[in-house]
Amino acid sequence: MSKLGRVVEAVENYNTFVENEVKRSRTEKKFGQQMVDRWNQIKANIPIGTAPTGLKLPRLALPEIDEAGDITRYLLADGLPGEFPFLNGAYREMYLEPMQNPTIETGTYEKNGDGKKSRLNGSKNGKGNGASAAHNRLAPAAPKPAQAEEPTRLFSGLMLAEDTNARFHFLGAHQRSKRLSTAFDGPTLYGIDSDADGVFGKIGEGGVAVDTVEDMIRLYDGFDLGSPDFSASMTISGPAPIIMAMYIAAAKRRFGPDIVPKLRGTIQADIFKEVQAQNETIFPVEASLRFLTDMMEYTTRNMPRWYPVSISGYHIGEAGSTPVQQAAYTLSNGFAYAEMMAARGLDVNDFGPRLSFFLDCGLDVEYIALTRVSRRIWAIGMRDAFGAGHKAQMFKVHTQTSGRSLVAAEFKNNLTRTAAELMLSYMNGTNSCHSNSADEPFTTPSEEWIRLAAHGQAILLDESGIFKHTMNMLSGSPGMKAVERAVEAAILEEFREIERLGGVMGAVENRYQRSQIQTAAHRYEQQIYSGVRPIIALNKYRNENEEMPEFELARTPRSKQQLQVDRLKKFKAKNARKAEEALNRLAEVVETDENCFPALMEAAEVCSLGQICERLQEVVGRFRPMV
Amino acid sequence: MAAPIRVLTAVPICDGHDSAINTINLEFIRHGIEVVYLGYHRYAQDIVRAAIQEDVRAVGISSYNGGHVEFFVEVVKQLRKRGVDDIAVFGGGGGTITHDDQRVMQKRGVDKIFFAGTSLTGMVDWVHERYGPGKRGSRDGAPADMQLARKLTQIEDAYANGKTPRKPAAKKSSGTRVIGFTGPGGAGKTTLIDELVLRLLHRDDSSRIAILSHDPSVVGEGALLGDRATMINSQHDRVFMRSMATRGQAGGLSPATEDCLQLLAQSGFDYVIIETVGTGQEAMPFQSKLVDQTVLVMNPDYGARLQLQKIVMLDLADIIVVNKSDQERAKTAMSEIERRLQGNSREQQLVSTVAKRHRDTGVDRLCDLLTQPRTSGETASEEPKGRARLRRA
Repeated sequence: MSKLGRVVEAVENYNTFVENEVKRSRTEKKFGQQMVDRWNQIKANIPIGTAPTGLKLPRLALPEIDEAGDITRYLLADGLPGEFPFLNGAYREMYLEPMQNPTIETGTYEKNGDGKKSRLNGSKNGKGNGASAAHNRLAPAAPKPAQAEEPTRLFSGLMLAEDTNARFHFLGAHQRSKRLSTAFDGPTLYGIDSDADGVFGKIGEGGVAVDTVEDMIRLYDGFDLGSPDFSASMTISGPAPIIMAMYIAAAKRRFGPDIVPKLRGTIQADIFKEVQAQNETIFPVEASLRFLTDMMEYTTRNMPRWYPVSISGYHIGEAGSTPVQQAAYTLSNGFAYAEMMAARGLDVNDFGPRLSFFLDCGLDVEYIALTRVSRRIWAIGMRDAFGAGHKAQMFKVHTQTSGRSLVAAEFKNNLTRTAAELMLSYMNGTNSCHSNSADEPFTTPSEEWIRLAAHGQAILLDESGIFKHTMNMLSGSPGMKAVERAVEAAILEEFREIERLGGVMGAVENRYQRSQIQTAAHRYEQQIYSGVRPIIALNKYRNENEEMPEFELARTPRSKQQLQVDRLKKFKAKNARKAEEALNRLAEVVETDENCFPALMEAAEVCSLGQICERLQEVVGRFRPMV
Repeated sequence: MAAPIRVLTAVPICDGHDSAINTINLEFIRHGIEVVYLGYHRYAQDIVRAAIQEDVRAVGISSYNGGHVEFFVEVVKQLRKRGVDDIAVFGGGGGTITHDDQRVMQKRGVDKIFFAGTSLTGMVDWVHERYGPGKRGSRDGAPADMQLARKLTQIEDAYANGKTPRKPAAKKSSGTRVIGFTGPGGAGKTTLIDELVLRLLHRDDSSRIAILSHDPSVVGEGALLGDRATMINSQHDRVFMRSMATRGQAGGLSPATEDCLQLLAQSGFDYVIIETVGTGQEAMPFQSKLVDQTVLVMNPDYGARLQLQKIVMLDLADIIVVNKSDQERAKTAMSEIERRLQGNSREQQLVSTVAKRHRDTGVDRLCDLLTQPRTSGETASEEPKGRARLRRA
């Protein structure tokens, strides 16, 4: 049985445990009374806030229940925000605005974290208890920083590094924190140099062109990479370890070698979803996974603020999967990475908190609760199948609204679609979010529509009172509960099928995930053409006279493309001798079982991305596409 | 009955968006079109080479990652540079291709751009109308591979129209070796052949290889001819590859295969490789006298040992390959098959491979067996049986 099989068992066992505890609280009077007491204590300690209208509201909303069994079920099966199994949120306060009146007492959900309580969590091996109990202890009045980070990420990537850099500065002008998210152009995503034959027209299209460490320096110029307010996210997977090495090399050149442990950010690096859905894979799967785990091992040991993989359902969703497939494949990929890291001898409590997730949010009904359920399954699986403590149980997720749900016909409707998806994302307690621009079906988004998309988030979180006064404002309706149960059962069924095929790797080799996604994508298209799935202005209420809008497209001028090629050629000429030496060393290390990331970091100082990828392909081979 | 329309589809270099093209491929196939699918992240020159060798009527390109004006125009330019004016280029890219782009692309020779919101039916109808049956020239005087491709089309068309072309005499160019690969679906034949091609190209830098690959289809219906998408090493200027649909014939090959094989065998290639579709236990596809060596590729997961008794090719093949031998059952499979072969009176070789593994020594060994000099037709090897040694390969 792979770990995934154990995860299925863990979730089943946990659900059984909850029901047994519910029964026990109804039959054992003492235990029942304990639960009721605990509940009353939690309620008594919820701080009261005041809305601008003067209305007083508790900062945490709880169901109106007073019977021991119901209380037990709520506390164990759902958990309070920030508590196992995290159905309602990874953290206690998420989007709440800081308390206006600091004299009001801010308590915690429970006063005591004694040993008996931790048993309530139903952990079999007990490993998860220590951290969990510690968290339950009387909190130090948790003074939230008055200037918390916005959950908004600023996504950009266009033309050359200096152009993207300018866009980052434009977008971040009014943000307290600089959380940048970077898209790369096609050649970079495929590890091909800008001066290679046949890619000229692709330079700087759909993302930024990065060939060398010098491009990487230009890309984040003017930002303090070591600042606690800065984080860089890089949306790249196939050549991720090489790009990561380049980022480190660039940071060292700008700030010196001591910068490394301070670097904060995320690199996508999710090879499994590439093979399953997005098709940006350069090396054979096993070699790709080796390079990835080499990098993850390095960052886990040396860069405590870095997220070395963003386990991504987004591209699985965008490739046409159902929401359940998206969650099931993403979670199972995550458990597979955890298994690989554990096999390297790393402690789950070291690498676990550095695993982060990235999900798609569309308009299908499953999205009412997809992230909530994912958080719960991850927590139970990590605790009971991997022995993870509190921090490593938390499913931390970035959500992006669905690009696939946006259509070209009467494209301004896309604002409404994105708004609804944003609402769903925040209802699910996402940790950060990106909202797509309405002009996405046509081009790399333009500044006008990016601004509207970003403001959509601010309207929801800052302007409206939906999320800032009370946690659980929209959690726990009967409908949401029904979706949660159905979605969880369906995800576990997918897990069982993957397990039957030999775990994630076996299923990948059988192209199981790919063919499931393709079948779902085809059905989706058929449903649009047959009208079963109404898409407004496309197959319903269509305006036959609509003219396609003309946009000022973000196209990269030939002169810029030529500039990138020229700069790269100069870099290669300058470093020719050193590059060859570094590549030879790299190739030697790759032939052994050693961690090759240090050699990769050295190579990134003097070699281009394409040079490194080509040399690695000579040693490990090229990826053979699956269709 | 007219021959099905053949088109080639692909996604450009640095672009992995294959969701749209997968759906379109399926729709084409359902409506009687044979689709040679080259896959995603493909260079213009690979598309052009494949389009010429497959002699398709049109190339359909699905692009979502930008740079489409340059890419489409490059494909047209390279086709014309090679003197090809009867292979059209069409495609789409959802909302990413604007009307302005389309005007530029059409002015430079692109036949048609489909915009966001085009129905699948609309696309299928257009392909049927525009690229339907029509007379195509003979290509006399064109470069050899273009003439060869057109002649293969004429043979296939003749069979589709119910005519049996005059069979040329069954002889080969001197030095041409014809190797037949067969085996059940999922055994990894395509990957294995592609890895062999990589080695053959490396071992002799002047060798030329032809591949005749087959995928199943029913009379009058379409087919997905998808081997090129995974055969990354075979997209090479010294490799001539042709994908054929079986067009209703059982047994792993097409009615036109023998004639096509004869033509290829006379065209001066060093190796002609035929790959059947995934076959059943009773299949014995290589009756042709032109085939020098036959290879049966098996998956270790064939079921109970008794199943081996029913596989006819275990008696006939010169070389039996147990691929995917990194699987748990591989050891058992090797010894069961070895025992099964001991009952046969003829010289046979048993090789164990993991074709998906880069630089697999088993594939090296197979390549040795297929390239060693022979004295006469039938016998694959002069080597004494060395199964114990082979098993470790």
